[in-house]
Amino acid sequence: MKNRLRVLRAELAWSQADLAERLGVSRQTVNAIETGKYDPSLPLAFSLARTFKRQIEEIFEAESRRA
Amino acid sequence: MTEQNPSQNPADAPVDPLFTHPASPFLRTEAPAPVSFDSPPHRAPTPPIYSTWVMYRTQIEFGLTLLAYLMVLVGSITVLKANPDADWRYYVAVLPLVPAAVVIWLFLRTLSRLDELHRRIHLQAFGFSLGGTALLTFGYGFLEGVGLPQLSWTYILPLIAVLWGIGVGIFTWRYR
Repeated sequence: MKNRLRVLRAELAWSQADLAERLGVSRQTVNAIETGKYDPSLPLAFSLARTFKRQIEEIFEAESRRA
Repeated sequence: MTEQNPSQNPADAPVDPLFTHPASPFLRTEAPAPVSFDSPPHRAPTPPIYSTWVMYRTQIEFGLTLLAYLMVLVGSITVLKANPDADWRYYVAVLPLVPAAVVIWLFLRTLSRLDELHRRIHLQAFGFSLGGTALLTFGYGFLEGVGLPQLSWTYILPLIAVLWGIGVGIFTWRYR
């Protein structure tokens, strides 16, 4: 799943550690989400949306399925 | 003493009509006087306190409990060798299980405090450890049937732990 986490984080000049502290997860988790290696759970996705004051759809984009 | 002129009475002075002085670019207007506020008291930034206990609490607890386990184990073996026929030897033999149970409790507590990615990593590592242990023990069991020496069951737990550690390393690396 693609996401705009790195861009949103850069807009606020937050480091991965800053965001991780706000979310209550490890920095490695933030990095894995940013690089697309890990898709967060629904509660964590909602926490991200609340942190950035955006809708989940504005942060995450489901990859289009091949027909 | 001065004699007041009645014509200078402010009440008698002519009043300028409105818009007598139209706005002019050459007319300087005074800016409002700056309002000063007291600066907040200057405080030197205090560095966060990261004591060894706070930073490495889990590791210290694990280390102390494992040390307690080893001490009880060595003590138990020593006492049992000195008293091989005592009636209470069974209780002494299982005494190391007490610190071992504390280790398991610490381990479960640590797992419950992990975030979701690390829980997944540990779940995958446990799967790796379980599968690896099953393969190795089954394989060695078959080899025992053709003559290799019989090993103690106590080797299984260290094998699980070692494979679990390897699994954590592998799956942590995959999510980097």
